[in-house]
Amino acid sequence: MSRIPWNGLRKYTVLFVLLALMGLFSLTSPYFLTLRNLTNIVTQNTYFIIVAVGLSFVMIGGGIDLSVGYQMSLVGVVTAMLMVVHNQPVWLAVTVGLLLGTGLGMINGLIVTRIKIFPLIATLATSVIFQGISYMISESKTYRNYPEEFLLFTKGNVLGIPFDVFLTLVIVILASLVYYETTFGLRVMALGGNEEASRLAGINTRRMKVALYTICGFLTAIATMVMISKANTTHSSFGPGTEFIALTAALVGGISFMGGEGNMPALVAGVFVLAVLGNGMQLANWGTYPQYIVRGLILLGAVAFDEYQRSARRLRRRSS
Amino acid sequence: MNTDYIVEMKGIHKRFGGIHALKGVDLELRRGEIMGIVGDNGAGKSTLMKILSGAYVADEGEIYVDGKQAHIRSPQDAFNLGIGMIYQDLALFNNLDVARNIFIGRECARGPFGLLLDKKSMYKKTEELIQELRVDISSVRLNVARMSGGQRQMVACARAIAFESKILIMDEPTAALGVTEAGKLLGLIRNLKDRGIAILLITQRIPDVLAIADRVFVLKGGQRQAVLDVSQVTLDDVVTMIVRGKDRNGVQAPSVEYRSFG
Repeated sequence: MSRIPWNGLRKYTVLFVLLALMGLFSLTSPYFLTLRNLTNIVTQNTYFIIVAVGLSFVMIGGGIDLSVGYQMSLVGVVTAMLMVVHNQPVWLAVTVGLLLGTGLGMINGLIVTRIKIFPLIATLATSVIFQGISYMISESKTYRNYPEEFLLFTKGNVLGIPFDVFLTLVIVILASLVYYETTFGLRVMALGGNEEASRLAGINTRRMKVALYTICGFLTAIATMVMISKANTTHSSFGPGTEFIALTAALVGGISFMGGEGNMPALVAGVFVLAVLGNGMQLANWGTYPQYIVRGLILLGAVAFDEYQRSARRLRRRSS
Repeated sequence: MNTDYIVEMKGIHKRFGGIHALKGVDLELRRGEIMGIVGDNGAGKSTLMKILSGAYVADEGEIYVDGKQAHIRSPQDAFNLGIGMIYQDLALFNNLDVARNIFIGRECARGPFGLLLDKKSMYKKTEELIQELRVDISSVRLNVARMSGGQRQMVACARAIAFESKILIMDEPTAALGVTEAGKLLGLIRNLKDRGIAILLITQRIPDVLAIADRVFVLKGGQRQAVLDVSQVTLDDVVTMIVRGKDRNGVQAPSVEYRSFG
């Protein structure tokens, strides 16, 4: 049996990949490794990280949520229209938006646990439903010019750090604490590791799953606020596509498709791998469309790597 | 109710779709005894035990624990009654370490509302448990995925007895073990019996039952065939009973103790 601590190494693989990519792009463009560009990469990706953290709860618990993109679309237009069309105060619009997002997550959880269909299919279906509702409400119009207070989400700052970056940091740290320091976090890992054993251990697995999809919906709604505040405009087409980035980042960041493992630093690094890749390719003048091809290839690669890791572990166990 | 018995199951029925897996089974477990549960594949051994452990819910029948009627509708209900079960597939979490495997579902908690995980006490209690059971597990922080079959079995045992179970059910505990490991496990089972735990032991290895059990309960086709006193039967008697059941002729070996079937 080999003595190489693969599990330990795997945790950091994504960090090495990130550093390698940064090295590569600093060679292809003189603008890549500038403070301004790096700051841009961070601030442009805060909401992807928040969604990825939300999705990580569902994925570590052994599920998947493909509807986060259209959850953002729906939450975005509702929040924006409350402020711009109905002239409601910012706090009310944000509260309604967060509650709506939490509710959408809970609906996913209830469908997955009550009707017992594959979460992949269930959330693909709800995704299209959310899309329809979003476009019906927004009439496919664009809503812009939010009140100043709402723009504070991205323009304000805490201790000199942009508010959305600060918020993202807090969310990532809190999520880490939940996973490693709480009973709930341990049960999430257990649920993803072996669902039947969790049930036999007396854990209410249905309620756990609903809770995980609900947390995902809540965090996705927070991310929506950051997204539309940053753009200072909303349309029903804002949000979709996020599910792909978050899912790929999660897999690149070592969160297994089968659940039961993952850590927050690697997840954040996973988001930045995709971000650096996009940014670097842009600066190297490779255009936008090749990025899609590369992203697709990365997703395939990450899933293949995940599968390889697990089969290697199975083999090791058999031989020991 | 007869209080000599720690568990009484009466008229247990269980159907899975069109399959009538248990057809009105009665079982009585005495305090502090080891009872072997034997029978062919599909006889209903695991199903009967899973009803007692709350993994399945009986379609009909009554269960009494300690003389009181018990309504076991979930693994948590069984746990609250002091019933622990070690499943054949062990029901372990390969992604978690030894301590977390043992305490999952009943974690040591601290902090506001008991939200936080008290890892320190969990590791400490696990180490004590492992010493007490004289199990050779090098570290309580090792992931169980990296352990041998015997070590995994020991973790499952530790898990089942960590919370002062009064009744322990084991499903084929020796099936996947080598000779040495199986021997160790039988020693552990005796050790548990000495501590006053009543044990139900499902197994295909009849010699194991004869070695450590007090009585043996024979199931066939979802029906109770006999409860035999181990001191009064031979291996052949038990095998004959498993294969032919009570209704055939020629099974009445002289020393076999039949109990009421009604």
